[in-house]
Amino acid sequence: MSIATVPGAEPVVTISTPSRQGWWRRFRRRPPAVIGLAGVVVVVVVAVFAPLLAPQSPVASQFGHVLVGPGVAGHILGTDQLGRDELSRLIYGSQSTLEVGVLATLLAMVLAVPIGIASGYYRGAVDMVAMRVADVVLAFPFLLIAVGLAAIFKPSLQNVIIALGLAQLPGSIRIARAEAMALREQDFVQAAIVTGVRDRVILFRHLFPNMLSPLLVQASVSIPAAILGSALLSFLGLGVQPPTPSWGNMLATAQTYLYNDPWIAILPGIAIFLTTLAFNLLGDGLRDLFDPSMR
Amino acid sequence: MSGQVLEVDRLRMEFRAPRSSGGHRVQAVRDVSLEIGEGEILGLVGETGSGKTTVGKCVVRLLTPTAGRITFDGKEITAMAARALRPIRSQIQMVFQDPYSSLDPRMTVAQIVAEPLRAHGHPSREQVRVLVSRTVERVGLSAGVLERFPHELSGGQRQRVGLARALVLEPRLLIADEPVSALDVSVRAGILNLLADLQRSMGFSCLFITHDLSVAEFLCDRVAVMYLGEIVEVATRDELFDDARHPYTRSLLAAAPLADPVQQRSRTRSVLPGEPPSTTEPPPGCSLHPRCPLADDRCRQESPAATVVSRQGHLARCHRVEEQLSLEVSRP
Amino acid sequence: MADLLTVRNLGVRLFDRGGVVMAVRDLSLSIGAGEVLALVGESGCGKSVTALALLRLLPEDARIEGSVEFGGRDLTRLSIKELRAVRGGDIAMVFQEPMTSLNPSFTIGNQIIEVLRLHRGLRGHEARQRAAELLSLVRIGAPEQRLRAFPHQLSGGMRQRAMIAMALACDPQLLILDEPTTALDVTTQAQILDIVRDLQKRLGMSILLITHDLGVVADLADRVVVMYAGAKVEDAEVHRLYAAPRHPYTAGLLRALPRGGRRTGGGAERLTEIPGLVPVLRAPLDACAFAPRCPRSIEQCHKVAPVLEEMDPDHRVACFNPEPVPAAPS
Repeated sequence: MSIATVPGAEPVVTISTPSRQGWWRRFRRRPPAVIGLAGVVVVVVVAVFAPLLAPQSPVASQFGHVLVGPGVAGHILGTDQLGRDELSRLIYGSQSTLEVGVLATLLAMVLAVPIGIASGYYRGAVDMVAMRVADVVLAFPFLLIAVGLAAIFKPSLQNVIIALGLAQLPGSIRIARAEAMALREQDFVQAAIVTGVRDRVILFRHLFPNMLSPLLVQASVSIPAAILGSALLSFLGLGVQPPTPSWGNMLATAQTYLYNDPWIAILPGIAIFLTTLAFNLLGDGLRDLFDPSMR
Repeated sequence: MSGQVLEVDRLRMEFRAPRSSGGHRVQAVRDVSLEIGEGEILGLVGETGSGKTTVGKCVVRLLTPTAGRITFDGKEITAMAARALRPIRSQIQMVFQDPYSSLDPRMTVAQIVAEPLRAHGHPSREQVRVLVSRTVERVGLSAGVLERFPHELSGGQRQRVGLARALVLEPRLLIADEPVSALDVSVRAGILNLLADLQRSMGFSCLFITHDLSVAEFLCDRVAVMYLGEIVEVATRDELFDDARHPYTRSLLAAAPLADPVQQRSRTRSVLPGEPPSTTEPPPGCSLHPRCPLADDRCRQESPAATVVSRQGHLARCHRVEEQLSLEVSRP
Repeated sequence: MADLLTVRNLGVRLFDRGGVVMAVRDLSLSIGAGEVLALVGESGCGKSVTALALLRLLPEDARIEGSVEFGGRDLTRLSIKELRAVRGGDIAMVFQEPMTSLNPSFTIGNQIIEVLRLHRGLRGHEARQRAAELLSLVRIGAPEQRLRAFPHQLSGGMRQRAMIAMALACDPQLLILDEPTTALDVTTQAQILDIVRDLQKRLGMSILLITHDLGVVADLADRVVVMYAGAKVEDAEVHRLYAAPRHPYTAGLLRALPRGGRRTGGGAERLTEIPGLVPVLRAPLDACAFAPRCPRSIEQCHKVAPVLEEMDPDHRVACFNPEPVPAAPS
């Protein structure tokens, strides 16, 4: 704390706490969160620089080297049933996996935030309608939505994203709505209303910026959920279509060879596990960080 | 009476409790009438649950009253639609109790104080800047705070920012809801002095809501005392503090401990027994009768009307106000 | 000396985001048998930390120095097991917010009986009867019935009474009241103060009263210790302190109060402000902590830390330039 005295006025006190650096300092004190962040960074880097990192093409088959074990013939992690380099496929697989996770969550957020804010702030009829719609969406298992979409259109990355995004919509709406309702009762929002600030301004300037933190936490939890969901869809053949690798469809094809060549199932499994774990650890860390009672 | 800045006439505010807790009707405010003249500070004093804050929220139209009439500057605003209300909002401003939650944590002081100006269409950036810095200076803050965020300020400084936001539009009426009860004594003194000074220099009228009689005594021209949603006594400051007539007011005065051991220990304590009953089912007759040592059959059956005590507008809602009051509550 | 509790050179360092905070600095005080000692100060002055330190209820990472002597033992050196027997036994504590100190899922009766069982070994009908007695001691009507109430079914005042009843369960020698009436309305506060005053007289226990409210102090205390920035600045018998405060901070607090007929208006009465803010000390200070805000500060105040000196009989002040004693009113 530093005190600078201005004549005739209360001294200006700087409490050097919840500034931006303060966040990082507090974040750093939570090893699981730091590990989670590191894991997420690794996955993102791998996905972005896949063409540079992958030793070989993920789709080029070498029929002379089918299902070779790790370390054989220059294949660090072996090859799959079509003789494609497993490591390269894992690296490229991170792209579609991450894409589904991030885009599905983004889709859910983009739809949920305006709906949630409006129903939390205005309550009344808007709220009723929004919540009933959310209940209806929630009543359909997301698998059903995904199967439906795949049946009507055809299985594709885009449809996986839409299905998973819709599946996450009710949860995200509820979060945004709860935040908006809590913020609406805060004195600073009441003050804005009393002052005659327009609703539009209140929503954009007071409500939205103050709910970013909990939304970020929600995103860090729903990305791994979407990743797991996409793996499940791929496993059922409804997800990303071969030959494009995704960890889910790698896992799906590997089941045939589980008995003799377990590594081609184990490796994408581990990749999915570690990635979701990393996001979840990061999410828990962020939650603690933004929780005022933990400060 | 004409020429009043604010007139509240038989205001009623009922809430419906959530169905989970029975769905009872809570009668937060029952038939409250009051008026505030030009440049007058009216204190609204009461304990938790007396409805004093609800009255304030109705006046600033954060709530729409169940019944009654609120007239600001001759215009009825009781159920005015949001669009019509907007220009009037610039004339009625509010200061809140909690200096922590009443400022948006993500806005700088300059942005916070500028917000009312922008909301009411002040065109030029330069004009806004000048008005903001002038107001900030007026509430006793240095220009150094303009670019700071609320969490970088002390409680007293934040409350000054809240005051600057409320006064930047030079409103005619200020609703101050317990503005000093969250502050320490030494800081509180500064805010009270400031409020008194600003009122004198700017001339606004003020509804000052507080639970602290000593604060009301220091600052207010007139004081209204609320109990269980009703105003039980209203009088000029001097009459209320020197010659209170309602048993509840007298009990409040007796209950507040004096910061002087000699006086405090020698006074006869006449504190009401028990606690206020629930607002979902206020007692019949006079709402104070279950706790009042003077209560008789009439008090138990018939709700008292406001009795005129003096020509200076001293009213007390008590059947027995005429009788010489000698309130001696036996200690329980 | 018949002192029940003697605190010597208590120092508490706490840690927050900004690093170390010198929450209590070299604080010594004693409470005699049957004495009501008030510890007064504004938020952050260290008064509550002091109380928590006495019973070692502070967070794990707090650093405590000095000694706390109670009944011939140093509480800072007791094992956790020994300490537990003292807490809630010989020393009981009542906190500001009764709702958070009572367990919401047990009845008042269960919670009082639990204390009686732990510390007194009472059981069954005997315990129940004693619990009901305790409730009537704090003037709760129909005590048998109230024993069956859950905390949320009681009003704030009733909960605080129940807390006091629980604190009295083991006939403590010392009762620590930490802002006991701050969350309550004035009429309820007056009722609680009446109860505490009455019980203290009847049971003869000592009380350590922690509060920021100078009215509550004037009502209950025998002696007052004023704290500022973690240190004791003044210590006096209650009447003497209010009549002739010697430390400029104490005097300032009393003048800042809107009390006793101070009214604005034509006369433009003003309250005395204490400019500036309570500092948060992060390192030992070679000066008076109040000096930057003090209207009476002299050069020395900024260079040397004042120590407590006996200025008048039973009146100690830590100040180089104390307020003059006002002329005795005729």
